Amino acid sequence: MRFEDLVRRHGADLYRYAFWLARDRQQAEDVVQEALLRAWGGFARLRDPAVAKGWMFSIVRNEFYRMKGRAAPLADVVSLDEIAAPRDEGMAALEMRDALMSLPASYAEPLALQVLGGFTCAEIAAMLGTTEGATMTRLTRARQALKRLVAPESAAERKGGRS
Amino acid sequence: MNCLDYRRLLLAGEGESREMQAHRAQCSACAQLAREHEQFEAGLRQGLEVPVPPAFEAALSDGMRSRRRRFLAAAAVALVAAGGGSFLALRRNDPLALACIQFVMMEEAKSIMMGAMPREEARAALAGTLPLESIERVGQVRHVGPCPFNGQTAYHVVLAVPQGKVTLLVMPDSGLASRQTASYEGLHAAVISLGRGSVGIVGAEGRVVESVAGALRART
Repeated sequence: MRFEDLVRRHGADLYRYAFWLARDRQQAEDVVQEALLRAWGGFARLRDPAVAKGWMFSIVRNEFYRMKGRAAPLADVVSLDEIAAPRDEGMAALEMRDALMSLPASYAEPLALQVLGGFTCAEIAAMLGTTEGATMTRLTRARQALKRLVAPESAAERKGGRS
Repeated sequence: MNCLDYRRLLLAGEGESREMQAHRAQCSACAQLAREHEQFEAGLRQGLEVPVPPAFEAALSDGMRSRRRRFLAAAAVALVAAGGGSFLALRRNDPLALACIQFVMMEEAKSIMMGAMPREEARAALAGTLPLESIERVGQVRHVGPCPFNGQTAYHVVLAVPQGKVTLLVMPDSGLASRQTASYEGLHAAVISLGRGSVGIVGAEGRVVESVAGALRART
């Protein structure tokens, strides 16, 4: 596998992952450019093509935290209860992105890795330096929060209607 | 497996196991939940898949002049391919109209989250360029707010018309020598001049954009 093939296949999702880490388009671009540069430098030493995707996502993550000037966090620090519900003015297509923007990065990041990167909970746990169980909990809470934010009424009805 | 286990695993987002499938087959409530969840997951993917900006490829191309020439040349080629030819789209589209589309793709949600102007303030801000009453004759105004755009303060208007959502970028200080158009990533834009300033119109259908442009021009 050539490095260019990897970039072609995963470049868009690496950018999107960086965007959800940074919540900023320009910073996401900078992170991906620097990450790809580092990945290219280490590509010759990569022996197992099967791990190439995870390796590149990990480099993006490390590069993001390196550029922020601190180590990647390992634990949740923000309570989902602190998130305010969005105003009722967004249209459906915008609501999900708005809701995702309001999620703390520690919840949005595993979602991005799972949905965009296609990684399993075990793989995400390894990348984030946590346990599989903790990753599943984060993913579950993230989806619960999004459902509350995107469709607060139906989520409340469901919660009240079933136990 | 009970309902609680099924729902917990569903929300964790891992693929459905045989055990989960067996539970769903005999539990109508969980089967209904799974159907709703499938729709939610489609929306979640859509939300996470933020557009890759066309300028990104150009930035990589600029980087070719640097000491990282060899890598960036390879990456630029790869990303142009991954971006569905968006670099070519940059060349075909008028720049201001394309910038309007990029605003909708990248900045609109943030702009809405920043909050809307009170109605009277919006009316005063738009009065000299595109009166709020004129816009309201074309569709239902869902949001008006100031936003930095094209080196000036523009007014971001979200309009609901019978065919769907249309975004306006009212630019009081941007005159226009000629009409501009662009189509990119499934969105269409037209920028037309007004008595004073100009307005960019962005929507998912070209004919709706043209129709709104015609209606706005007729009312100014």
